[in-house]
Amino acid sequence: MPANRDAPLVSRVPLEGPYTLLTFRHPEVATEGRAGQYVMIKAGTSADLPLRRPFSVMAVDPRAETFTLFLKAVGAGSRALADLRSGETAQCLGPLGRPFSAPPEGSEALLVAGGYGIAPFALFCDELQRQGRAARVFYGGRTAADLQVRAAFAERGVPLVPATEDGSLGHRGRVTQPLEAYLDGGATRPRLYACGPDAMLHAVARLAARRGLPAEVSLDPWMGCGVGTCLGCVVKVQAPDEPRPRYRCACTEGPVFDAETVVWPGEESSLARRRGLEKATA
Amino acid sequence: MSASLAVELPGLRLKNPLLAASGTFGYGVEYAGILDLSLLGGIVTKGLYLEPRDGCPTPRIAETPSGLLNAIGLQGVGVRAFVKDVLPRLAAYDTAVVVNVCGDTVEEYAEVTRIVDDAPGVAAVEINISCPNVKTGGMAFGGDPQMTHAVVSAVRKATRLAVIPKLSPNVADITVFARVAQDAGADALSCINTLLGLAVDVETRRPRLAFGTGGLSGPAIRPVAVRMAWQAARAVRIPVIGIGGIGSGADALEFMIAGCRAVQVGTANFVDPGVYARILAELHDYLDRHGLKDINAVVGTLSFPGEAPAVGVHS
Repeated sequence: MPANRDAPLVSRVPLEGPYTLLTFRHPEVATEGRAGQYVMIKAGTSADLPLRRPFSVMAVDPRAETFTLFLKAVGAGSRALADLRSGETAQCLGPLGRPFSAPPEGSEALLVAGGYGIAPFALFCDELQRQGRAARVFYGGRTAADLQVRAAFAERGVPLVPATEDGSLGHRGRVTQPLEAYLDGGATRPRLYACGPDAMLHAVARLAARRGLPAEVSLDPWMGCGVGTCLGCVVKVQAPDEPRPRYRCACTEGPVFDAETVVWPGEESSLARRRGLEKATA
Repeated sequence: MSASLAVELPGLRLKNPLLAASGTFGYGVEYAGILDLSLLGGIVTKGLYLEPRDGCPTPRIAETPSGLLNAIGLQGVGVRAFVKDVLPRLAAYDTAVVVNVCGDTVEEYAEVTRIVDDAPGVAAVEINISCPNVKTGGMAFGGDPQMTHAVVSAVRKATRLAVIPKLSPNVADITVFARVAQDAGADALSCINTLLGLAVDVETRRPRLAFGTGGLSGPAIRPVAVRMAWQAARAVRIPVIGIGGIGSGADALEFMIAGCRAVQVGTANFVDPGVYARILAELHDYLDRHGLKDINAVVGTLSFPGEAPAVGVHS
């Protein structure tokens, strides 16, 4: 069950640019947190920026009762978290939300990350290794500095394929390009998992649909509460048997959704619905 | 022996003056595993229409200085699904359930109220005539004294439960609406709903919310809310429930000293699910420090400049 606690900061590791690794003590997140789940967290009690922020759980240490966040300081709320000192506490509710689902036996997990969307995949690799599943990470960003925490995957022995738009590291171009190349080379019953900017998630969803592959995406809308009461984070979702899309809370029914059920911006219905209708009329 | 926090409104006894405000606490059950719902004096549900509603397009929320601007648009499951699926689960908790009723027409408000009236476990009805994020009903009714009278009268006739209109701050003189609601048979008033606001994304030159305008809540609105609740409380004989940016014991006391019999906690629910335990402890601490045995002793005790010191209702 999620627990609401004042979580003391145990360690803080500044990385390049706006990135920081923060480790907090929070027994429930540390012992129950699953890959794809998140916490709602806020530094201090200032009323100026009232809301907590959602962050994916990147790693857990059940014995030390700690968990780690990968934070990119983009505004005052995330900067306040990045500026916490050891021993100071953050208000923290978690673990929250629907995690990634485990791939079936014999299936290869292909993890597609954009920028700080890498966060949940370190924990996911731990889970996949425990389950004896193969994993491979495709990690994209604008430039090499956006591809932080690559060492976490090297330590876990998980292959990582970098891609940068400016070519400063790995493949020059979009992360979906090396992913497509790998799929063309004959992956073993691949299953896609994606976390990153919406445009990347949409591209992965289209790619998966084109190739008939199962895919899960972790969405990151603005969240107010994390428990399904503010209804601020809703996304349009449509299962094959639903005649019209419905708003679902990303905070409780997500943030991980089956890619084909998401109704992407500019589209009228989900891929799952359109395919279901095609089958019905065929 | 700790002081008594129980308060009484016509037809509604609360073990303490803290209610969760409509639209900030879902249907209550969402918080069941996170905090003890029995800590609350009461829960006011998300607004309910006859049928389920989709609500507004996204983005629906934007954080502003000390505030939250929202245009959710009353997304909800509909009153029948609430009565069938949710209400039985709330029976497990020692807290008053107040149902917030909505409608596109006067008749819909009455119909929703009749369904609620028949359901076991409902303590009172709050009338939503103040939502700024719907095109019909809501603030359109709460901004017109004749419509306010029509809706409150219709709901009054549809139930034996306590009837509590929730008033809009987006009017020139809230006391007009407070008196109209009282005359139409209201048992108490909730003051206030959100303040109509607009936040602009300067890069795109578009509103930050997909609906355009939204309702502002949170600490930013508290002084406005205290002023309007105070005005309403002086204008009517029925009790007022204060709402607007409450996140601490002192915030709740501001409203009560200004004349409110009870208060609702709204945006603070999103910020900290531990808010009720903290406010209750702070209220007890305040009463102890002031040698008071009963929270009612502070209600309406504001000494306003140029006026004779007010006398507490129970002192």
